[in-house]
Amino acid sequence: MKLKVYADRMSQPSRAVIIFCKVNGIDYEEIKVHISKGQHLTPEFAEINPMKQLPAIADGRFKLFESHAILIYLACAFPGVADQWYPADVFKRSKIHSVLDWHHSNLPAEAEIILSSSLSKLESFWLKGNGRFLLGGNQPSIADLSLVCELTQLEVLDEKDRTRLLGPHKKVQQWIENTRNATNPHFDEVHRVIMLAKERQQHQRLKAAKNEGGSNMKKPLVSRM
Amino acid sequence: MAEDKLREKYRKQRLNSEVERSKGINMKLKLYADRMSQPVRAVIIFCKKNGIDFEEIRVDIAKRQNLTPEYAEINPMKQLPAIVDGRFKLFESHAILVYLASSFPGVADHWYPADVFKRSKIHLVLDWHHSNLRRGPTTIVRNTVLAPVLGRPLNPEAAAEGEKFLSASLSKIESVWLKGNGRFLLGGNQPSIADLSLVCDIMQLELLGETERNRLLGPYKEVQLWIENTRNATNPHFDEVHKILMKAKEKLQNPRLKGANNEGGESDMKRTLHSRI
Repeated sequence: MKLKVYADRMSQPSRAVIIFCKVNGIDYEEIKVHISKGQHLTPEFAEINPMKQLPAIADGRFKLFESHAILIYLACAFPGVADQWYPADVFKRSKIHSVLDWHHSNLPAEAEIILSSSLSKLESFWLKGNGRFLLGGNQPSIADLSLVCELTQLEVLDEKDRTRLLGPHKKVQQWIENTRNATNPHFDEVHRVIMLAKERQQHQRLKAAKNEGGSNMKKPLVSRM
Repeated sequence: MAEDKLREKYRKQRLNSEVERSKGINMKLKLYADRMSQPVRAVIIFCKKNGIDFEEIRVDIAKRQNLTPEYAEINPMKQLPAIVDGRFKLFESHAILVYLASSFPGVADHWYPADVFKRSKIHLVLDWHHSNLRRGPTTIVRNTVLAPVLGRPLNPEAAAEGEKFLSASLSKIESVWLKGNGRFLLGGNQPSIADLSLVCDIMQLELLGETERNRLLGPYKEVQLWIENTRNATNPHFDEVHKILMKAKEKLQNPRLKGANNEGGESDMKRTLHSRI
């Protein structure tokens, strides 16, 4: 029985899990659950995940949700996943747990005040040193994937806003690029929906700007699932 | 089994640190703690229950000792708990619990099972906790009983929001995590680090006094039983570690005690109670 991944690529944590599977050659079936259409609220999906959130997986009879738990499970349970993603070394592994936990309280992309301070912390602490990735690593771990996917949600923001938020943080920008390069072509492929959403947003902003009588801007499609 | 090999590897890594330790440098596990903080209590109880030798270094949040440059060397996020094990520093209580369970000999498997399926479910509950239960008790307490002590205005709306979070989380705990016949989360018959972490959070409600606590927890019989089970499974350490919280509760609930306190009443309570709650 193939691994099933229930995902909405508009959701940051869904993207992290999908990219991880693709990069590591994990055979899976992606089952799209559209949040915008309320498909995560159906009784059918509640059978998979009673918390009604994405992503979720079903591996045989084993069901799991919460993206960090899923990433750890996949790293442990599937052969061929390189050690860098979730190192066997207890010290390195613990640091990854630490940043993943910090992520929960500190990086939801919607809350700007938290975001600003979190970007600073990323720049000054988690990306300290000469490594190309978090915690001084020279190869990405599940923490890099998870946090970068969170930040790519900012793509749907107005270019000005995005530049204002990310502009001061050169290391963060470089790290996002490093993570992208390390996981391409899958990274770009999985992010296509976000880039399409961004184009639609820009189109609507242009339209609204042309209209007389006020703004017709929809809110950015940020969804923390 | 691969997991057994991993455990063995971790034990060897720990033993190597102990060898370093035996070379004369005091390398006992250091735990930076303020027992008014829920995640701190979970780590302390875990250590005591599992016979993990540690030095508790009090960092008084009320006195803002977590904001000093010295403490920032330990944890740049300036939060508690944090540990230092030899040269290894770590913060975030869940990461700490997992590290301790993985690297100290003598920790029974039920705390953090080697079985990848059971273990994943524990990660799941710990993650869920961050976005759900953890927000409840803190928000309520900070906007009601602790508000005057913290120099904040009472905020019944914020407290009501916190209550909604709490209720929703407790319902989910009953209907999902405590489903089945187990005495603990995820159908377990022995506690895991997830039980300890979540129960310590709920204990923060003690500060509200018995009536309020009972009102909030009253509808959730299974939750109450589970709290009791966790307490029993980890006593006498559970009660001992919660003593400071219970003392704070008494001071809050008995204004006359405030005045009777020779150290100046209100300001003394401020020092005792102002914390990362």
